[in-house]
Amino acid sequence: MRLTHSQARALKGMLGILLFIAVWQGSVPLIGLDAYYYPGPIDVWHAAFELVEKGILPVYLSDSAGRYAAGVCIGVASGISFGLLIGLNRTASRMLGPSINFLFSIVEAAWIPIFVIWWGYGYTTILISLSYVIFFPVLYNTLLGVRSVPQVYIHAAQALGANRWQVLSNVILPSALPSIITGFRVGAGFAFRGLVFAEIISAKTGIGFMIFEGTTYHQTARTVVGMIVMGLAWLFINNFYLKPLERATVERWGLITTAETRE
Amino acid sequence: MNALPSRSRMNDILLMALPPFLLLLVWFAVPHLLTYPAYKLPSIATVGQRIVEAVSDGSLAKAILSSLGRLAMGFMVGNLIAIPLGIAVAMNRHVSDLLRPLMTFLQSIAGIAWVPLAIIWFGLGHGAVVFIIANAIFFASINNTIMGVESIPNTLYRAVRSHGGRGSQVFFNLVLPGALTQIILGFRTSMAYGWRSLVAGEMIAGSSGLGYMTIEAVQWYQTETIIMGIAVIGVLWLLMDRFLFSTLERATVIRWGMVRS
Repeated sequence: MRLTHSQARALKGMLGILLFIAVWQGSVPLIGLDAYYYPGPIDVWHAAFELVEKGILPVYLSDSAGRYAAGVCIGVASGISFGLLIGLNRTASRMLGPSINFLFSIVEAAWIPIFVIWWGYGYTTILISLSYVIFFPVLYNTLLGVRSVPQVYIHAAQALGANRWQVLSNVILPSALPSIITGFRVGAGFAFRGLVFAEIISAKTGIGFMIFEGTTYHQTARTVVGMIVMGLAWLFINNFYLKPLERATVERWGLITTAETRE
Repeated sequence: MNALPSRSRMNDILLMALPPFLLLLVWFAVPHLLTYPAYKLPSIATVGQRIVEAVSDGSLAKAILSSLGRLAMGFMVGNLIAIPLGIAVAMNRHVSDLLRPLMTFLQSIAGIAWVPLAIIWFGLGHGAVVFIIANAIFFASINNTIMGVESIPNTLYRAVRSHGGRGSQVFFNLVLPGALTQIILGFRTSMAYGWRSLVAGEMIAGSSGLGYMTIEAVQWYQTETIIMGIAVIGVLWLLMDRFLFSTLERATVIRWGMVRS
């Protein structure tokens, strides 16, 4: 059977991953360190099996997923609202623009200490810092989308008697949507890293907590399990939710957003 | 140009000063309206005092310098490994096919998730934080370098070869300059990842620097130090982004005409 080009590439990629695991396992006796310092793939496999069997991993995973989903929803909703406000209103743009630029330059990690002072270690702190992370990429891309709507379309809709609301919902939103989705994807990626950090600092469950807890209890293999689960989770989210969403919106709504206007 | 700012410019300045002004006003008024433990929100005067104190005893400068030193070191280490490796990987189709999915996977766990391992390997402090920064920068930068090399049109390769260019000539005259635009543009992105990792890494694994200063203050309820830390972290990144990278891009890729300014 002949393989197509992309199949051959995927196969080579798989081979690369297998090779990596083989080299990793082979290096364990060569390096000769205790599993605390350098766990091998077999240790990690055992740890993963144990974590699933004891039911720890599923619980942590669903806790993390719940926090992530909630944070992303709040961040996206507020990002789109502010993006529309600033994109559609010149006064709002001149008033809020510089302040938002400044806030954007403060990384989310810097806020966590004061969130902890205000809301303590726990859910609220994680939720707010996640929403903060995703807020900015969504806002900037919504802005970009709104500003790149060709004036002609707005005039056309107005000439046909559309009121402000109809212009917004029938012209501006659909044409800004592909750009908004791009912001959503970028922000979701940043928020995913933010989640791990927030959980390390201020949670007692979750994947980020597991990554950190593993080493404090001399179970480094659990830390590695956490890292791998994190990577797999992101690939899953990216390939099964974000990419299809982006493709679907560009196909469905992207008609009016030509290449030039998206630049 | 007029010596005085025009009217609309004045309006702009007034408008953009409004939100910070309102924030200060609320901050000023809140202690009179609500009762809460003093550590939750120190007064403006307390924060001001703290900043004056930290500037005059040199502790702020010391924290900034040690953070920036770590960032520079992580940036150098990460790029020095990532750029040659990226070019090597991208120049060979088979190697690049072999490593691409692995790279994608490792990139999605880069950064903060490595903190516990960094602590085990390097101990709390300088080494662990540099490792985390270098790690984040490495994965961002290698992806960029590969993209840069792969963006070189095939026609150019054929052109160089048809003029008799061989191995090292192809490398120095085509691959390196061709990938350089993307590499330089990528510095900004990879530094953004590095900066995040610096702040977060210092908070978990640091023993000095801005992140450490800010998280350490939580234990002692020194909220004024935390607020100072947040402000300094914001201003520093703004300065780096505006002056360092814009200058670099203007001096290189924009001057070469590779991208529009």
